[in-house]
Amino acid sequence: MINRNKLFSLGITAAAISLTLIGCKPKGLESVTTSGAAEKVYVAPGKHDEFYNFVSGGFNGQVSVYGIPSGRLLRIIPVFSVFPESGYGYSEQSKAMLNTSHGFVPWDDQHHIALSVTNGEHDGRWVFGNANNTPRLARIDLKTFRTTEIIELPNSAGNHSSPFITENSEYVVAGTRFSVPIGDNRDVPISSYKKNFKGTVSFVSVEPTSGKMKIAFQIETPGVNFDLARAGKGPSHGWFFFSCYNTEQAYTLLEVNASQRDKDFIMAVNWKKAEEYVKAGKGKKVKNVKYAHNFIDEKTDAATSEILNEVLMLDPTELKDMVYFIPCPKSPHGCDTDPSGEYIVGSGKLAALIPVFSFTKIQNAIANKEFEGDFGGIPVIKYESALYGEVKKPGLGPLHTEFDANGNAYTSFFVSSEVVKWNVKSLQVLDRVPTYYSVGHLSVPGGPTKKPHGKYLIAYNKITKDRYLPTGPELAQSAQLYDISGDKMQLLLDFPTVGEPHYAEAIPATLVEPNSTKFYKLEENKSPFVSLGEGKTKVERKGNRVDVYMTAIRSHLTPDNIEGVRLGDDVYFHITNLEQDWDIPHGFAVKGAANAELLIMPGETQTLYWKPTEVGIYPFYCTDFCSALHQEMQGYIRISPAGSNLPLTFSTGKIVEEKESGK
Amino acid sequence: MAVLICALSLLTAYFVPLWQILMWAPQYPEGLAMKIWINDLSGDVKIISALNHYIGMRAIDTSMFPEFKYLIYLVAIIIGVGVLAFLINRRWSLLAFLAILVMAGFGALLDFYLWGYDYGHNLNPEAPIRVPGMSYQPPLLGSKQLLNFLAFSGPDIGGWIFIIASWIIFFVAVFEIFFKKKLV
Amino acid sequence: MKKILLPIAVAAISLFSCAPDKSKVVEELPTHQDAKESGPEANQADVTKGIGAIKEVKLTHPLDQERVTRGTAIYEMKCQACHKLDDQRLVGPGWKDVTKRRQPEWIMNMILNVDVMLDKDEEAQKLLELCLTRMPNQNVSIGDARDILEFMRKNDGEK
Repeated sequence: MINRNKLFSLGITAAAISLTLIGCKPKGLESVTTSGAAEKVYVAPGKHDEFYNFVSGGFNGQVSVYGIPSGRLLRIIPVFSVFPESGYGYSEQSKAMLNTSHGFVPWDDQHHIALSVTNGEHDGRWVFGNANNTPRLARIDLKTFRTTEIIELPNSAGNHSSPFITENSEYVVAGTRFSVPIGDNRDVPISSYKKNFKGTVSFVSVEPTSGKMKIAFQIETPGVNFDLARAGKGPSHGWFFFSCYNTEQAYTLLEVNASQRDKDFIMAVNWKKAEEYVKAGKGKKVKNVKYAHNFIDEKTDAATSEILNEVLMLDPTELKDMVYFIPCPKSPHGCDTDPSGEYIVGSGKLAALIPVFSFTKIQNAIANKEFEGDFGGIPVIKYESALYGEVKKPGLGPLHTEFDANGNAYTSFFVSSEVVKWNVKSLQVLDRVPTYYSVGHLSVPGGPTKKPHGKYLIAYNKITKDRYLPTGPELAQSAQLYDISGDKMQLLLDFPTVGEPHYAEAIPATLVEPNSTKFYKLEENKSPFVSLGEGKTKVERKGNRVDVYMTAIRSHLTPDNIEGVRLGDDVYFHITNLEQDWDIPHGFAVKGAANAELLIMPGETQTLYWKPTEVGIYPFYCTDFCSALHQEMQGYIRISPAGSNLPLTFSTGKIVEEKESGK
Repeated sequence: MAVLICALSLLTAYFVPLWQILMWAPQYPEGLAMKIWINDLSGDVKIISALNHYIGMRAIDTSMFPEFKYLIYLVAIIIGVGVLAFLINRRWSLLAFLAILVMAGFGALLDFYLWGYDYGHNLNPEAPIRVPGMSYQPPLLGSKQLLNFLAFSGPDIGGWIFIIASWIIFFVAVFEIFFKKKLV
Repeated sequence: MKKILLPIAVAAISLFSCAPDKSKVVEELPTHQDAKESGPEANQADVTKGIGAIKEVKLTHPLDQERVTRGTAIYEMKCQACHKLDDQRLVGPGWKDVTKRRQPEWIMNMILNVDVMLDKDEEAQKLLELCLTRMPNQNVSIGDARDILEFMRKNDGEK
């Protein structure tokens, strides 16, 4: 019996050991939302969201607008990429917006946005956006939510460190991601990086009332990669901080070769000092540049493009006390100033700690010349002399930091896929929440301003995987909304986003909503191609060019019968929408058009170019369901062979007996 | 008879994975798996290798493990010994087979540990991510947090068959020793 | 000219002050609203004058030629697409003799307050049934509407 018991207990032990082995196999991670989350994001039908969220579109080149807290997509604003649905980049009025020194560029990579500020607070006037590929800056007018200006950046090879903005929107900056040879001799070996490659940061001034942009000056730097930037504010107003990596000056396999140094830099620029040098005429006029400046002409509502050939360059190795480097661990990415303006948070994307620098200490270090040497002739401040403190063991792969109004910072961690809340003064980690998955940028309403509105935090994730119903290999990007009003961050909502959002800003709706344009006034339409009334419609021929001056109103186009156009003609349809009421756009499409359609807002004139390819009758019609008789809103244009003698005629509502029309 | 079945059951080792390493990270909710076979590796080996390169671990490749070349013979020998033990049909032969099984098991674990130690500590000094003092040795058995990854190591089907077979042999031996004073 | 503008302005202000929320319009009787809050002119609640800010228009004789000129331009820009000047219907009715069929107040209310008119005013609704297209709000000012009225009078042969 004893033996049997022994055997039995042995069996139990064996089973137990096996079960333990199975039991210690962990389960996958699960996301948790707490109760009450639904109520917090529910915006009842017909009600409006509390915040506008302006979100960069990444590789779609556009800016999208979401409502927060609902996460509803309100609009996609075309900026750097063509947008056939509205005709942006295709219509004769908008084509010039995408002009560059390389000619017409139909796409770009839109990474960051900056909302205009006054006294360090959102003023709801403009949104600025950068183009990372063909370096450009855009300005969107928040009255119309339209891109009204784009300026190209010379001596730049990828505008990543942009469009961050100073306290009163004096300047929007643009730091090049890629250093390249600039100046006269650009045909050099790639391996001569250290000698020949230069970085630049541009300070683009913003005219206070019109918003018009101009490159005020550029600063030439040693060849590095500029990543992100933030302006100082309050006490640090007048300074700008740029994170830079690849201080190894590698030109190949950067993954390894640009990750060797323990510390790269944050570059501190005293732009007030730079202004003094500019005023004193210390800048060098660089003439061998070429860059486009495109803007909507207020009179004609059409984009015009000018090519500029001069830029003012400041050399910090000659002009002292303007630029300093501050060591920052491991390829810093985010470089964020807190609402007080005293603290600058660097986020080394390969670091296991977050350094926080003190503006006061930086100033003291400069005054006391606490330098550890120089980099490319620019003084490097001692790390300890600039450092306020380090957040220890915050997570893996810190990227970006936003702030609330209570002295807390929120840092995104790509590798450990989480958001960590910590106190700026005490440097203590307060809370952490997972994100789904691998968060990039964060947005807290007013987070980069002097007065954050707080309340919510939005995480823009880089990996989506199983968060939504699968849609094949390509998935929408995923964003998550957190409630940050309490001590603990609370996950409220997942919402898919278009393109690939990088940085985003959120602003109270009350600062934007009241100024939103409802329609364009016909009386103020000064387009040279406007038809102010059906009586003013006409079709004109000048050689091979045929101009159709057409009107659209519910529910007909005038003229809707056009004859006498010949193969080989270049046809321009100038459509004026005669409506004067909110949300009554008309569309215009013609068969075989090789470009796109037009969406014409009430009171506006848009032009579509069309080259007929065959003899025959081509229909055109309104594409925007405008009224009960929208399907009747159509017309015909007759294309006769080249050399036809058929006179140019046009009409609407004219009915001809068949005998007469038979010819 | 049980001895023969056990010995022959080890033949399955040629057809099923023996060991598994599973990994989870926030951005890998579905998990990553690496299966160790008698002469091969399968699963998300490429993905794991790609991730490991950030921290300077070598890429995992079947050709790097000489074990895969002789393991098939080793297991064959073990099976042969089992069959022989059955044929000889003596207590000493049974005990010898058990001893070989247990030694093979611990030998495999030791080998696995040494490889894991080598992989986790021999890091490329030029790796993009270098966390001072951090090594990435996978757990020998059970789970362990390695940076953002939770890693688990444990037997797979073949391993379980091996373990169960060992236990049965063990019980047979116990049975032989305690219940039958004489040989069958 | 000033004589006309004053009552229009008064009416406009009074209506403005009691202007109901857009969504509430459906639920409240505008005549009731007018009678209660809009002063002496509104008390008449003359259905032939339509519904809206315009309670009384003082016509001038002869026609104000400046208004006619401006009215013509507005007609061409904002009205001509749908309204012919003869008695033929295009999208909306032809304008011939409109000033003889309708009170001037009704015409101006129809121009200025078309959404409410189409929802409430019987005569306007009859026209909608006939034309099957809702007249759009073309966002003209009160002064512009008065100019259009002057142009209509001229079109109807007044001097």
